[in-house]
Amino acid sequence: MTVKVEVGAGGVPHNKVMIYGLVGSFIFLYLTYLNTYLQAPYLAFFGGLAAVAALVWGADTIKHLCSYGLGTGVPSAGMIALGSGVLAALFGATTGVLTPIVTIILAAIIGAITGLLANHVVRMDIPAMVSSLTELAIVGAITVLGLATMACGTFEFLGMITGTFTFLGFTVQTYGMSVIGGGVIAVIFMLGAIAIQHAFNACLGPGEKQDRTLMLAAECGFLSMITVAIISFAFIETYAALLAFLVSVIGWIYTYKRYIDLSKRDAYAWLDAKPIIEPKGGA
Amino acid sequence: MTALGAPKQAGGFQPPTAMGIVLSVVLIIVALALSFLLVQTAGLVALIGIIIGGVLIGFGVHFVPVGGAPAAMGQSPGIATGVAMLAAGAGLAGLFAGAWAAPLGLAIAAASGAIGGGLLMAITCTMVNVIYVFGMGIPAASGKVAKDPITGDTFPEYKSQGTEGHGLPFISWVGGVIGGALGGLGGTLIYLELLGIYQAQLPVILGATVEQIAPVAVSLAGIFAIGMFLVNAVLAAYNITGTIEGPHDPKFKRFPRAIIAAAAASAVAGVIALGLFQLLGVF
Amino acid sequence: MEEIIFGIGITALAGALAAVAGAAEDTESDIGSQGDPNSQVQLAPQMGYVHRIFNKAIAGEPPAYGLWVALGAGLAWAFMAMQINPILAIVLGSALAVFVQGVYATTAYLGRTASLSKFEQPVYIDILKSMTTVTMAHAFVAIFATVTVCHLMNGALGHPFPLPLLGLVWGIALGAAGSATGNPFYGKERQYQNQAFGAGVPIAASGNIVRYAEAGQRNSIDNGFFSAKLGGPASGICFGLIVFFELWRTVVFEPVAAGWGAIIVGVVVILIFAIIDRYIEVWARKTFGPYTTPEEASS
Repeated sequence: MTVKVEVGAGGVPHNKVMIYGLVGSFIFLYLTYLNTYLQAPYLAFFGGLAAVAALVWGADTIKHLCSYGLGTGVPSAGMIALGSGVLAALFGATTGVLTPIVTIILAAIIGAITGLLANHVVRMDIPAMVSSLTELAIVGAITVLGLATMACGTFEFLGMITGTFTFLGFTVQTYGMSVIGGGVIAVIFMLGAIAIQHAFNACLGPGEKQDRTLMLAAECGFLSMITVAIISFAFIETYAALLAFLVSVIGWIYTYKRYIDLSKRDAYAWLDAKPIIEPKGGA
Repeated sequence: MTALGAPKQAGGFQPPTAMGIVLSVVLIIVALALSFLLVQTAGLVALIGIIIGGVLIGFGVHFVPVGGAPAAMGQSPGIATGVAMLAAGAGLAGLFAGAWAAPLGLAIAAASGAIGGGLLMAITCTMVNVIYVFGMGIPAASGKVAKDPITGDTFPEYKSQGTEGHGLPFISWVGGVIGGALGGLGGTLIYLELLGIYQAQLPVILGATVEQIAPVAVSLAGIFAIGMFLVNAVLAAYNITGTIEGPHDPKFKRFPRAIIAAAAASAVAGVIALGLFQLLGVF
Repeated sequence: MEEIIFGIGITALAGALAAVAGAAEDTESDIGSQGDPNSQVQLAPQMGYVHRIFNKAIAGEPPAYGLWVALGAGLAWAFMAMQINPILAIVLGSALAVFVQGVYATTAYLGRTASLSKFEQPVYIDILKSMTTVTMAHAFVAIFATVTVCHLMNGALGHPFPLPLLGLVWGIALGAAGSATGNPFYGKERQYQNQAFGAGVPIAASGNIVRYAEAGQRNSIDNGFFSAKLGGPASGICFGLIVFFELWRTVVFEPVAAGWGAIIVGVVVILIFAIIDRYIEVWARKTFGPYTTPEEASS
């Protein structure tokens, strides 16, 4: 006995969400590049905002894909998205100033290929498969790139693999104390993989509303930003990390409150310590 | 994993489309040619290793007996969790063991990876039966076949009314161990091939010793191995629409589709991972 | 020799910690109805059975624990990089990871329940207030123990993976072991306590979960008490054995026969588990006997 996936109708059209997500995250990623001209990476938090914009878009895409019923649950879509995304993001990061462009193009190629394989070899035969997996791979790649940028202040590969270590008062350069060398990339991977699918997975049902789902996606993004901001204290200047932390906490509190309000709006009733009320139709 | 949606293709077995096969073959050939151009013979050998690893993962998922949500109610046989994630649990435990044994050479590391995955599945499947028998008083009964191909036990008279069977028959136990071992072997192969390439390239690019770059090489190879594992496992999970009883299940016959898809997906992902440093410093 | 004795000590400690982690993980997920039994909590209101059970749908257990443990490990790693003492770093990292877990739990309950408004399932806000903290407490035990196991593997036994990557690997393994072992016990024996013991739940009964307790209405903390009796400890044994054997065979037998010793021992352990499993299966067939009901629902 399986639960049918039902989604609410209406709301902002998917293409509009996609364009906002893509353009927004693209601009945010390039804003972090301005760090090069500052003495400290104060703009690192824009990487996190890029991830938030991408996650909102990704939640909407997952909603479209999973309304077809994949047979394996919503979370697997997040896993395949981040699995292809992490490759594209790290390859893209090696291309210097072109990073965001190369990342998006490469992710689109990988996503399209997995989509075609899923439809034509594995025979899922789902019309939205190719476009959805393409979008999801881009979302996954931007999320990884954005959060990694937020952690170390730059989207360039050498910045991601070099860190500093203070030993007896001397500052030593080392590859172990870096975003990639220290394995922080694994944390970012999982943060993205859960955040991308949670919004739709948590809100699915006949009463699903787009604004509530997307608000939850933004909430997941800001929550992920908080943790990445805490990790970034190990890599970047304290004030830059503090700024990133404040931005994430403010964003998270706002979206969490809005999400609770929207849940209150959509709930059948909002009760505190009340017994079960049997439905009028009878059990 | 939450069970969602009904299996779309429970009936017949649709072979891959001509376009799917042509696309896969072209992708594999292009990827092999690119790997030879970029990293010469070492790259070609490594990519073949990665493709074999990916195919083993895709094939291994078909052995893992997973019943999804109904299994948790004793309504269908198998382990009560998501197939991609259970395979990932076993495969990553194998990767852990394989990476630990990496300094001892390819043969021992690969064997260790296989044992690591098989061991996790052996213990998990045994404990699943312990719970079914001693916690719930339910003997194992397959729903898809009348007789266990290994032990010759008959099932119909042990199946409780109104269910599709329950528990974990011995054939499913064996399938689980084989699946875990194949997954661990595949994941370890991908990891070892990537690690070898990175350990050869990184010291030259960064002008550092092998020991200094070890954290970066290990983390990159590890996260890419996990990413490729998840992509292949999810594609294979799509192939069996989420649930399977093990090697005796009729759905098992669908495995050629997953093998083609896994080979093509791993070839594309592999060539990107192998060529990671080709554009470093160009822009 | 001393190195091996040290290694065995670490292995035993890691196995014991893993057992604690597994038990806490399963109890936590059952209190929240996470994983596969979640489908029934979700289904019940659609069948007309409005309930007061926590519906915490955060992916499956393996990916969710993959995140919590990787996050705890990553934060602990970052604190250690800031020169904070490892024990304090692991505690702080796990505490922050549990904060994330708690937030995800509340949003999952609100989202799923609000989307069921069509079936007149209200949001019981007191469930969030009283049960989120209980799941967070159990999750803290599970995350802290697993991150400590990962730190021992990396720091004391010299595994090449950095701490967060180990957290990801063992978090997913923890979720896989816990959900595989613990889910049926909660799903069948607790949610469907009203169905016959010793048989699967008939598909026709789906959704008719038990909603009333000995006194008053059942809530998820009652389910925690129940899981802690068998499902939780069994998951703990499962994960503890996995971690113990994985480390033990490598630490003790890797020096034998140029590394092949560890592999041979691994094969032997797998064969021993095969014998145990077969024994249990045959015992069940003999003891419970064939059901006398005629066969009709074969598919």
